[in-house]
Amino acid sequence: MKAGLLALGVSALALSSPAYAETLTIGVVAPLSGAGAAWGLAMQGALELAVEDLNAAGGLQVGGESYDIEIVSYDSHYNPNDAVTAVNRLIYEDGAAFIVGPLGSAPLAAVAPMTTDNQIITITAAFTPIAASPEHPYVFRAVLPTEVYAHPQISWVVHELGATRVGALFPNDESGQSMQIDIAAAYEEAGADASAIDFYERGRMDFVPLLTRQIAQGIDTFELDGSPPETAGLLVRQLRELGFEGNIVRTGGDATDAILAVAGDAASDGLYVHMEFDGSLPEVQAYEARFEAAYDDSMNAFSPLFYSLINMVFQAMQAAGTVDDSDAIVAELGNLHDFVGPAGAANWIGEDIWGTTRQQFVPYAIGRVTNGAPEVVAICTVDSCE
Amino acid sequence: MDILALLPQAGLNGLVIGAMYALMAIGFSLVFGTMRIVNFAHGEFYMIGSFIAFFSYAQWEVPFALTILITVAAVGLAGALMEWVVIRPLRTDELSSMIATLGVSVVLQNSALMFFGASPRPMPDVVSGLVHLGPAVFSASRIFVIVAAALVIGAFWLFMQKSRTGRAMRAVAQDQEAALLQGVDVERIFPFAFGIGVVLAAVAGALMAPVFSVSPFVGATPMLKAFIVVILGGLGSIPGAVLGGLLIGMIESFGATFLGGVVADMLQLAVVIGILLVRPAGLMGRKEA
Repeated sequence: MKAGLLALGVSALALSSPAYAETLTIGVVAPLSGAGAAWGLAMQGALELAVEDLNAAGGLQVGGESYDIEIVSYDSHYNPNDAVTAVNRLIYEDGAAFIVGPLGSAPLAAVAPMTTDNQIITITAAFTPIAASPEHPYVFRAVLPTEVYAHPQISWVVHELGATRVGALFPNDESGQSMQIDIAAAYEEAGADASAIDFYERGRMDFVPLLTRQIAQGIDTFELDGSPPETAGLLVRQLRELGFEGNIVRTGGDATDAILAVAGDAASDGLYVHMEFDGSLPEVQAYEARFEAAYDDSMNAFSPLFYSLINMVFQAMQAAGTVDDSDAIVAELGNLHDFVGPAGAANWIGEDIWGTTRQQFVPYAIGRVTNGAPEVVAICTVDSCE
Repeated sequence: MDILALLPQAGLNGLVIGAMYALMAIGFSLVFGTMRIVNFAHGEFYMIGSFIAFFSYAQWEVPFALTILITVAAVGLAGALMEWVVIRPLRTDELSSMIATLGVSVVLQNSALMFFGASPRPMPDVVSGLVHLGPAVFSASRIFVIVAAALVIGAFWLFMQKSRTGRAMRAVAQDQEAALLQGVDVERIFPFAFGIGVVLAAVAGALMAPVFSVSPFVGATPMLKAFIVVILGGLGSIPGAVLGGLLIGMIESFGATFLGGVVADMLQLAVVIGILLVRPAGLMGRKEA
């Protein structure tokens, strides 16, 4: 909307440590305002909390040196042009050691050649295959893309909930079109009819006509995946306004808080949601409480996943004894297994899908919303949900 | 669901969405008609109206009618102040004043983001429940929006037709110099028109808050639609804004219900282009001399 305006540096946080410490700059490139800000602020918050922990433990000690961490954040506005501007500044002016971001496929596709040429490690939440491709060995993905969780989770929905005819609405763009293909194929493979599918322009607020059409086609299950969190909330609310009593399912992407906020507890009751991790873990509940106390806002589920991966990079730097040699750090990252983070044990997957192992995997879950909160009903591995 | 159920369902929904577009477009058109300014911050006043309704009605439990009055007073004063502080010094340069409204839009949206956060907030229905008419199901909350919007548009029409200030605003919109010669105090009319224009956007935001929830970004889509509606209805034409709003709402609703979302969006813009080819000044716009 205000894409013509230049990206603005939003924050720079210097944390105290011994006076002789060197400064290590870490960059953030994420949407910090406008649509997608909830995700971007979750990524920035994860880095700030990770740095706060490092500082409390005496700073980052690598190869006998002590480093004072400086965070430089740029608002990408979810826009490839602004992401390129930000990454340019981080590499050539700020000298960032690694970058948290960007968020979104188009911004990552735009910046990946630059970060690869300059051997800059990036921790992204982009769902494009570029994020795990062999051509970009310094890109790591913190959150799971649809192609990893669609089949196990949808198979559970079809067999456990008895879904036979599924309706869904997707944004009418490249992201929505590609997600529709994955989701529809997963439902068809599991034995359900997923032909009641339509598209909408992003920014649309009134879905009643489209939902009326879908209900008229006799759907018994509605899939919310592919829609931004606020839009998914509107879909739930408007489905219930039309008297729809079938199952409503959110196969992927953390959106539960936003759906509940928009749709309300009553309309959301019985909603089945994808949980990026097992939300019943005490560690993640403690992290969530810490995040909410620090930022006075609800925590987006991307945050603990980024927090884990950021800490893995710090640990790999310490193991490699360098903050500059990205190849050595990447090699040490590959040696980390069952890394204990707030969301559970993290491991690398992806060899069979992309031929690389730079996709973080933390066991995820399916939750059923009851009285305004999701309760875990199944825990998922790479292969299945039970 | 058969066609007999789909028709009233689509018709009522077209009225709801059309009423919101009309409210937004009337205010937008009023400001352009009287001041020749495209107010890019119009959508942010929709957002402010929704936040006022949220805090007043949902948080402090003020009755909804009183909430609307608070919205009118607060946003009306804020709009008049914006005209006085930001637009008046730049009035001689239309481009500068438009850029200024764009700046105000950025400031307002990001201020809301800083103070209230990005997360959407739920707003309880003013009227809850479902109304069943045969196989068709209507939300009472949406029926309430239609009735309330009709009352607001009616009150605005009466004000413009019957009150001295309303007639003065119409005179300024028709011919500023002639209005000056007739003794109309144009300097007083401008902040008044701007204030009323943004009040209509804020009232739309307050009415739609229970239906679409509240967040710093809720004003973007209604603003875009208002722009299309105003061009369709005729820049500066209030009846055109009402007619255009309802027409776009109906095309959106019937098109999406019977033809699907993608076709409906194409159809909507195709109709707008078709009408503008036949009537370049819009449905009820006047050709510039």
